[in-house]
Amino acid sequence: MTNTIRVVRTGLAVALMLGVAAATGFAGGAPEPEGDPVPEITIYTTTESYDPIRYEAAFMIQDAWEELGFQVNVEPMEFSTLLQYFYDEQDFDATILGWSGRVDRLDPQHFLGTLHGEQIDLGANNPGGYVNREYDELYVRQEREFDPDARREIVLQMQDIAASDAPLDVLFYRDEVVGYNNERFENFVAMAGEGIYNEWTPYEVTPLSDDLMLTIGTSQEPDTINPLDSTSVWGWKFMRMYYDKLVRLTPDIEPEPWAAQEIIEVDDRTVDVIVRDGMTFHDGEPVTVEDVKFSFDYFIDNDFAYFRPFFGPIDSVEVLDSSTVRFHLAEPYSPFITVTLSQIVILPEHIWGNIDNPADLAPDDIPTVGSGPFKFDTYDRGEYKALKVFEDHFSAGDIAIEGIDYITYADSEGVFTALLTGEIDMNAWRMEPGQIPIAEAEDHISVITVGDFGYYHMTYNLRRAPFDEVQVRRALAHAIDRNTIIDVLLEGRGEAGYSVIAPINTFWHNPDVERFDFDLERARQLLEEAGYTWDAQGRIYAPQS
Amino acid sequence: MTRLIVSKLLQMLFTLWVILTVLFFLFRLGLPDPTVALVTDGLSPEDRAIVTERFGLDRPLPAQYVIYLGNALTGEFGRSFHYNAPVTSIVGERVANTLVLMLPAILISYTIGPLLGVLLAWKRGSKLEAGGITAGLVLRSAPMFWVGMLVIMLFGIQLGWFPTSGMRTFPYEAANFFEKIFTLDFLHHLILPTIVITLYYTGLPMLIMRNTMLEVMGEDFIEFAGARGLSRARVMYRHAARNALLPVVTQAAVTAGLAVGGQVVVEVVFSWPGLGLEMFNAVRTSDYPLAQAAFMLMAAIILVLNFAADVIYGRLDPRVSYTSEGAGV
Repeated sequence: MTNTIRVVRTGLAVALMLGVAAATGFAGGAPEPEGDPVPEITIYTTTESYDPIRYEAAFMIQDAWEELGFQVNVEPMEFSTLLQYFYDEQDFDATILGWSGRVDRLDPQHFLGTLHGEQIDLGANNPGGYVNREYDELYVRQEREFDPDARREIVLQMQDIAASDAPLDVLFYRDEVVGYNNERFENFVAMAGEGIYNEWTPYEVTPLSDDLMLTIGTSQEPDTINPLDSTSVWGWKFMRMYYDKLVRLTPDIEPEPWAAQEIIEVDDRTVDVIVRDGMTFHDGEPVTVEDVKFSFDYFIDNDFAYFRPFFGPIDSVEVLDSSTVRFHLAEPYSPFITVTLSQIVILPEHIWGNIDNPADLAPDDIPTVGSGPFKFDTYDRGEYKALKVFEDHFSAGDIAIEGIDYITYADSEGVFTALLTGEIDMNAWRMEPGQIPIAEAEDHISVITVGDFGYYHMTYNLRRAPFDEVQVRRALAHAIDRNTIIDVLLEGRGEAGYSVIAPINTFWHNPDVERFDFDLERARQLLEEAGYTWDAQGRIYAPQS
Repeated sequence: MTRLIVSKLLQMLFTLWVILTVLFFLFRLGLPDPTVALVTDGLSPEDRAIVTERFGLDRPLPAQYVIYLGNALTGEFGRSFHYNAPVTSIVGERVANTLVLMLPAILISYTIGPLLGVLLAWKRGSKLEAGGITAGLVLRSAPMFWVGMLVIMLFGIQLGWFPTSGMRTFPYEAANFFEKIFTLDFLHHLILPTIVITLYYTGLPMLIMRNTMLEVMGEDFIEFAGARGLSRARVMYRHAARNALLPVVTQAAVTAGLAVGGQVVVEVVFSWPGLGLEMFNAVRTSDYPLAQAAFMLMAAIILVLNFAADVIYGRLDPRVSYTSEGAGV
């Protein structure tokens, strides 16, 4: 026994000596490192249970960067703690997070803003601290450019600048894979970023059985159904069915006048909206221009922060005549029609006009009267929601179903089981990778894959070495194997990312931005050009300043 | 006796205060800022400051603590940050859902468990005993989510006998909680999760009972009872079991107290809208008021049940007497 150990030890010693000799031999030709070793890098990412993909990706990136001579740690943490370090404290080296593809983010305003030099304060949207004067000037220009083609030119240019500066790495856009019961309904509409749980599916689906209620399974619960208080996507995805908006975005994300008959751009700070005739609220009261003006004023007066990005540009709202409302903007604001008018809902003045502090309403007192294509029916928190078609709505004739049931499950596994047993007709949120093949094998389930324009990213803290140097960031970008992340971790269900505006957002996406393909030799070369050196152990040193 | 109860109650109040305090600081120091999740919704720092003020989180910690204690004295636990609704109404809804799931399961477990335990002790050395112990240990160690998933796969998906989630089939009409649960549909939903919880819970009282029984069976009065010509079953279930029941009662009190918090895992697997699920979400979203109230309720019920167990001891076993010098057995 003792002899065996001794033999092993001797063997180890020999191997170590050989290794050192080899390393020294390798470094023999290289100059002695002069500056200081590059500080250790810590990558923050999600826990494995929260998102195995971001978790594994961090370790893949760690391996590649270590090959370049960096010392890299990976620290997975609980999601809200991760957000806190990233946004609130800006206390990180590199963080892997994501932005979800909400339909109002198809307008490039929000995603471009995450690199805007004026949003670098604690808690704001640009925690990495990227500041580029040229980019910032273009940001203001695109915001004020009303002509879509001219604005597009600016947006493309901004993507060029940002890509080459590499303040973050867009890792991938993840496909949304959802399923529906093809024995009960057909003609589901798929939308980028929203899957089939969008505003149009209830219009397009055709029932194949006697049951005319579309049943949606979800594991996401609205925070509240108070339109002056809800800050979650899941609250709004429910409420938007029973409230009307002046504009709705079509499945191709074109603004379509909805409660508006017509929209007239008088000049770059004035927009007239002619309100559709003959609409009524679910309680029978007519929808008037006064209700429209009231709704915008009400959101502004109550200063509901969630909607500030939308109503922020509005200076005042004026009733011109019995069918026309005029919006005065403080500054020209190009996303006004696509974003503002498609997000703020029309509330009945005769109900909300009597409520002074809407955010303090008790849950049972929250009004649910809208003018939308569906009427509010039931909301049992954590269990069940239901809507019924509003027969007097101008679009009711296009709807083949009688209503929508929403059943809440504890997690995505519960939703998936319900899809298998036929308890629900579709799921609201994507399936887990392991569920997809099971769903595909079922005859009664059809699987749909839709691209997303939300993106997963690794953002660097540009206030810290070595990320303060653009050349290092560009080198590190070459050391991220995006294709393997997609092929292996996402099982091919996604697309490699290069810009904050996703390819599926065809109008605004710039396909020609600089791409950093996985190439460790190229990365090493860039670092050498920047004056970085390596010591005998292969550890990287910053140039002497 | 009155003095004893008063001193026990004072002890309970002190314990409650300690728990309240620990909960307050634990959540505030241990969990991230509850407004941080709003960033991903695109809220600016100024907008978040407004939310922070509304939650009262802008005040210094000691001031928050004083307000919190004052409110707790009047049974007021504030508004949930996440739902913006009074915590008491949320907890009330949820705790009832949890209790109708947990209490039947515990009742069954603590009826069957001890009876089986007696049987195992009685048949000491037999194959029945070996099998019973193994089954108890296996069921006790098998992760509940796993058992739950197997049960769902078999009875829910393959055979299609039982619904796999929730408390009722939607949509349904129910004017109040009792109309909601006094239906066949509810029982139909209750069966699978009850089986899973019962399987898990039965092992412990069974094994405890068996162990204490073995001790008791060695005592003289058992031999004497046998000598009096009483049947073996009567000796076991009437004489020995009664003397072996104390540790099971203690365990039952603790189990019932924890039951208020539900079995998070079972509630998740069966999408049961109970308090356990809500507590889990409250901690995840740093919803301090909701988390505090839920944990507080759980602690309070455990304290009360322990107190009740103390009193019941005296009834079950007259040898337990409480005197002014302290409790002695």
